[in-house]
Order: sequence, then structure tokens, then C-alpha cells
Amino acid sequence: MIAQIVLSFLLGVVLLYAWAQYRRSPIVTILSCVVSLAGFYFVWLPSHATRVAEFVGIGRGADLILYVWACISLVVLLNLHLKLRSQQELLTQLARSIALANATLPEDDARSTDASRMSSLMEGQTSQPRYRRADAPTPGQTADQSA
Amino acid sequence: MRNDPFSSIWVVCPAYNESSAIVSVITRLRQAGYDVVVVDDGSADDTRQLASPLATAVVSHPINLGQGAALKTGIDFALEQGADAIVTFDTDGQHRASDIPRLLDALVRNEADFALGSRFLSEPLNMPRMRRILLWGATLFTVVTTGLRLTDTHNGLRAMTRRGAQALRLRQNRMAHASELLAEIARSRLRYVEVPVTIDYTAYSLAKGQRTGDFVMILLDLLAGKLYR
Repeated sequence: MIAQIVLSFLLGVVLLYAWAQYRRSPIVTILSCVVSLAGFYFVWLPSHATRVAEFVGIGRGADLILYVWACISLVVLLNLHLKLRSQQELLTQLARSIALANATLPEDDARSTDASRMSSLMEGQTSQPRYRRADAPTPGQTADQSA
Repeated sequence: MRNDPFSSIWVVCPAYNESSAIVSVITRLRQAGYDVVVVDDGSADDTRQLASPLATAVVSHPINLGQGAALKTGIDFALEQGADAIVTFDTDGQHRASDIPRLLDALVRNEADFALGSRFLSEPLNMPRMRRILLWGATLFTVVTTGLRLTDTHNGLRAMTRRGAQALRLRQNRMAHASELLAEIARSRLRYVEVPVTIDYTAYSLAKGQRTGDFVMILLDLLAGKLYR
């Protein structure tokens, strides 16, 4: 009985969290709710877990829960990995923008700290080069090559 | 040394802790008449300080991101500068500045957008057997996954036109960028050509180069990249 109360409390927290996340990701919320409600069901009626397990050919209800848990963990792991990659990409863009905004040309020692320039770089826009050597071609000369 | 069809040639040199080789590399490139942008990839040593007075430009990543990210930053910078030809050149001293005119000539002669250096079209110097086997495996992988018929897929010496550089979408930060770059060339359907170049294997460049384990990581990175897309 104690374990059932503790587990129900934890599943209730998951339900609350899922509900709070509904606007950000409805799919995650729905999946979390389904898993939590299934959890509630099997916590209070564990014999039904065994019946379902026997039906799908696993044997014990505990094993069924374990396998499902392993699958859910893998999906969560993949999701975290993808999120990490997208964070890394953002970090790369940020670092690149900082690097390009602070590029140094020893020949004219030009420096730029223009905030608008930084924001345009973040949006992937290209504007006039900031640093240009005296012998470099002007933007008009290269416009036809960039087409 | 300047190739007439290109009025603005930029050499992109990604550098991470290259203080022992970078001075001679930049000096040779500058003597050959090229604009050089060194991308300091968050080096812990004095790579940036050594490069600053010699290179045409120095761009510094605030943190270490990897060679692929450094190349992309350098290419972006060169494009901003109005480069109409961009050369990528490793800073560990394994490449020869004298090979660059041949790459640029190949772009013009073949009306290609990419000229890729190949150490196997010329006789490589002091190449260890293990590295030869690994590179052969990498070449086979590239042929199978991209359909490009190349003899050397992990050569850091390449030249590209402005159009070619603009067609590349590079997202791999680490070593997998070399394979990604080739996949991008295949996707762009732009013309490419291989050019024999000489690689000077020194104890230093071998120590800095890829190890067997790196190839496993490259494969994992590429697989993760496929999943992500």
C-alpha cells in the first residue's frame, strides 16, 4: 500500500508536468499522460499487468513493465541527443558570429562591435564586408560572381 | 603565383594549437601572394598571437568547436571579403603552397567549382601503412555513400570557386566534415576535379592527424547527422 501511494504521487507529478508542457509540445504531453495513466492502472491493479504480459507472450507483468520502461528510456535518450545537437548548432552559430564580428586584419587593424551586424549574422544574412583590404575588389565587382 | 582568372584568392587555415608549425605555413602562403585567413579554433597555446602579424586576417572562435566549424567560419569570412576562389589548407605543415596554383588552374581548365587534392594521384611521401588502409576505407565509404569517384577523400587541401563555397551547407563541427563536404559537393551537382598534390608526412603532422579511433567517431558523427536531418 505504501509503495502504491508513493508511486501514485510520482505519477501524479509526471501528469502535472505533462499538463504544464502542453503548449510547448502537445505530443510529449499526450504520450506522458498515456504512460502515467497506464502506470496508475498497473500500480493499483498489478494482476492486470500480468494478464497483459501473458497476452503479449512475455510472462510476468514486472518484465512487461521493465521492457516498456527500457523502450521509453531509449526514446527519451534519442530525444535528448537530438536536443543536444541542436543546442550545439546554436552554440556554433553564436561562436562563429562572435569570431567574425571580432576578426582582425593586421593591415588596417579594423574592429567592429556593431550590434546590428551581429544580429544580421545570426539570421544568416550577408551584408557588406566589414573588413576590406585596399587592393580587394569592391562589392560591385563581385556581385555577378555571387549570382 | 596568382591565377589571373581569380582576382581575390583567400586561403583558409583552420588552426588548433598549431604554434609550432603555423609561422612557417603562413609565411610560405603569404610569400606566394595569397590572402590568408587563420581561424584560431580556441587554441590554448599562442597560435593566435603568432598568426596575427603574419596572416591577412585572424578569426578566433571563443571556444574550441572543431576543424569543420573552423573551415566553415573561414569560408564565410572569405566570402564576406569578396573572395572568388577559396582554398582550404591544413596548418600542420603537410601541404605545399606550390600545389595551390595547380588546384586553381584545374578549376579554370575544367570549368569546375571544386578542385580536390589527392595524395594518391602522386606518390605520397612516408605514408604509414595503417594510414593508407584507413584512407582506403574512407574512400570506399565515400564512393558508396555519395557516388563521387575520388581517390582521396580526407585531404585538407582543396580549392573552390565562390559559387562552390556558397553551395556548401556544412554542419559537422568535428572530423566528419570532410565526408560531409563531399556529400555536399555531390548534392550540389557542381563539377569537381581531383588534382595530384604532395603530402609531407612529418612526425608532427602524423601526431596531429587522425587516429584509428577518430574514424569510428567520424562514422558515428555521420550516422547521427543522418538521424538528425
